[in-house]
Amino acid sequence: MNKIEVIRTFNAPVSLVWKTWTEPELVMRWWGPDHFTCPSAIIDFREGATSIVCMRAPQSFGGADTFSIWTYQKIVPNQIIEFIQNLSDKDGNKINPTEIGMPPDFPLDIRTVVTFKDIGDNQTEMTVTEYADFGSISNFAKLGLEQSIAKMDVIFK
Amino acid sequence: METRRDVFQAIADPTRREIIRVITEKNMTLNGVAELFDISRQAISNHVKILTECGLVIINPKGRERYCAINPETLKEVATWVEPYKKLWERRLDKLGGLLDELQTGN
Repeated sequence: MNKIEVIRTFNAPVSLVWKTWTEPELVMRWWGPDHFTCPSAIIDFREGATSIVCMRAPQSFGGADTFSIWTYQKIVPNQIIEFIQNLSDKDGNKINPTEIGMPPDFPLDIRTVVTFKDIGDNQTEMTVTEYADFGSISNFAKLGLEQSIAKMDVIFK
Repeated sequence: METRRDVFQAIADPTRREIIRVITEKNMTLNGVAELFDISRQAISNHVKILTECGLVIINPKGRERYCAINPETLKEVATWVEPYKKLWERRLDKLGGLLDELQTGN
């Protein structure tokens, strides 16, 4: 349970898919999953630099803002983006996930690798892989599975 | 002594995770499972016993053989833990797909 991988094929060239990670106005249009919005994305797209993105919950879920920082470790244009994701405050300072009501074993550092592959026909295959300790299973069981999932569900809906 | 087993205890052990993996691919007899591992049949049998006690594995007798099968409901309970993270990304990528279509049709 230390890895999540999501693969998606888009009907768009790699160069355009790449831009959805580098242009703040484009990041803002997809970082919030449905019903969520992304009211701000401060992108500093350089190895070693940090971007700050915000995800705003719908009013029905309290409308809270959740800020994340992405600290880039490796950038190979049109091929790969590697970054560490952390929850942060609005100024990009790392915070402890429990401060914003996340379960105590919500992962602190989520290493994220995004790869882009031209598969021809103007199509791009993009893979997002997150590597983190997604909860120590035994601790998690102790903490109460249902309770934590209910909390996360609210955040992730 | 507390002997109640839960799913998370069951999957804390790497051998048991491996057993789960092989029988997820294909229902197998206990002997079939044991052949895949370098440990004794007795040890495998104990692992399988723990897996059945927590409801992750079901034993179906067929003739003389006893087949091990995964209980998908219980396995789901385990999978649920990473599911929200995965779902979050899938929803974002749904949105990204829509955005890319839009950008290309110039809407």
